[in-house]
Amino acid sequence: MGQALLQTQNLTKSFGALTAVNDVTLSIAEGSLHSIIGPNGAGKTTLFNLLTGTFPPTSGRIVFDQKEITGTPAHRVAHLGLARSYQRTTVFPALSLLDNAWVAAFATGKSWDGLLFKKSSSYPEIQERSLHALRDVGLESKANQPAREISHGEQRQLELALALAAAPRVLLLDEPAAGLSPEETRRMVALVRALKGRYTIVLIEHKIDIIMSVSDRISVMHFGSLIAEGTPGEIQRNPEVRRAYLGGVAA
Amino acid sequence: MKNPLLLVLISIVLLPLAVRPAIASEIWIFAIFGLGLNLLLGYTGLLSFGQGTFFGSAAYVAGWLLKYYGINVFLALGVGMGVGALSALAVGYLCVQRSGLYFIMLTFALNQLFYFVAYQWTSVTGGEDGMPGVPRPAMLGIDFSSPLVYYAFVSAIFLLSLLLMKRIVESPLGKILVAIRENEVRAGAVGFHVPRFKLLAFVIGGAFSGLAGVLYAMLFGIVPLESISFVTSGNVVFATLIGGSGSLYGPIIGSVVFIWLSESMSNVWARWPLLLGVAFVIVVLFFRGGVVEAWDRLFSRRKISPSRSAH
Repeated sequence: MGQALLQTQNLTKSFGALTAVNDVTLSIAEGSLHSIIGPNGAGKTTLFNLLTGTFPPTSGRIVFDQKEITGTPAHRVAHLGLARSYQRTTVFPALSLLDNAWVAAFATGKSWDGLLFKKSSSYPEIQERSLHALRDVGLESKANQPAREISHGEQRQLELALALAAAPRVLLLDEPAAGLSPEETRRMVALVRALKGRYTIVLIEHKIDIIMSVSDRISVMHFGSLIAEGTPGEIQRNPEVRRAYLGGVAA
Repeated sequence: MKNPLLLVLISIVLLPLAVRPAIASEIWIFAIFGLGLNLLLGYTGLLSFGQGTFFGSAAYVAGWLLKYYGINVFLALGVGMGVGALSALAVGYLCVQRSGLYFIMLTFALNQLFYFVAYQWTSVTGGEDGMPGVPRPAMLGIDFSSPLVYYAFVSAIFLLSLLLMKRIVESPLGKILVAIRENEVRAGAVGFHVPRFKLLAFVIGGAFSGLAGVLYAMLFGIVPLESISFVTSGNVVFATLIGGSGSLYGPIIGSVVFIWLSESMSNVWARWPLLLGVAFVIVVLFFRGGVVEAWDRLFSRRKISPSRSAH
């Protein structure tokens, strides 16, 4: 495994009296698949929002590729090479699948020459990249269909394609299998596994069996804090993690 | 409607046979105005209730220069586009910071601000009486004062505007604006500075409005105070919605319907706006996509094109 590509140092986010993310120090190794697990409300999505600049942290730092990016707004974070998918599907419903990916690919494209007058089909590199992203998630055959017409499972795949089209260095996947049927979940897991190694991936997931089978490392969050980190095997044996999870289920 | 551009061309040729050239000119001028608004309303999903600001400001400034400095027609158009774009830059900069109802109210409030400046500054604008005496100076041996010549000129400018707008909405910018309309948060997350793109849409829309404003001032030889008022802003929204905000050609159809109705009915029946009201209610209740959608549903039974959304 490579050196740390994405790090947080004492990252904290408070909303009034609630501390959603509490003093989190985390290091994601380049090329790894690092999962973040924890019961509902543990602060996982808030952590993602901090990493991608949706809002700034209350305190602490975020370092990406040796550069501090704390407080960088979302639209600029995308250009640095961090792309995320959302837990609740958030695509562009009226646009075709290809245009969905195309817009994401164009955003991080090398040049915006001709923004106002060139035909969008005259950007071969962007076109290729967006088609490739659709192919990666298995939606190439529906490229010209509007996003609002495809199934929920397919929208989850498109969600992922939007992140891939940006050609990122780090993929932040927020529960890619949320709301999927067992069959669709199996396909999504295969997909994530196929992406492993090509990108540095940070994965939030609830389904423990998925996490255990794909992760290189796992960090466990509970009430905003990190309570454990280790390989899947280590996490499985950790008594504190078991308590947090069992407590979470009982509550 | 296999080839809408061809249909527009035919309409340009036939329209003067049906109505007076001045009204025919007004229709295409209003269509240019609508094209500009629709980049905001239909493509970006921003309901601007203050387009009259740009229309009127451009008409006053270019009208003044035409009247007192005798600038040529093309320079006047250029000035109008510039004034429209600049005023849209200023207004847009303030408005894109807010969204939803606050955005709409801001466009409206700033429109009122411009209106009262024009209303009070009587030495320049003529206040309530408007600014009369805007000429259409001849150029290169072309006598623009002839109504039919001016109609041909307006039609040419309208066609150019339409082609330009077609180019813009088919460019990456067009897709990005639709993406912003569809999902602003995601558009930001994939890497677009959303307020800046909204502002760009404002400026382009402002330039189109300004162009229309100058053509309007030259058409009637006067800049009426009403041209900068919220009534003008409302009319263009109204016409665009009736035509259909979901397509490039919607505002053009809306302009034909709106101007034709208002010009032909206002002499016959003082309460003609009732008809517009009824048309508007029908559109809102049954044809959210305006005349364009009604046509699609009644005749070709095509599916709504992908660039269109249910608002």
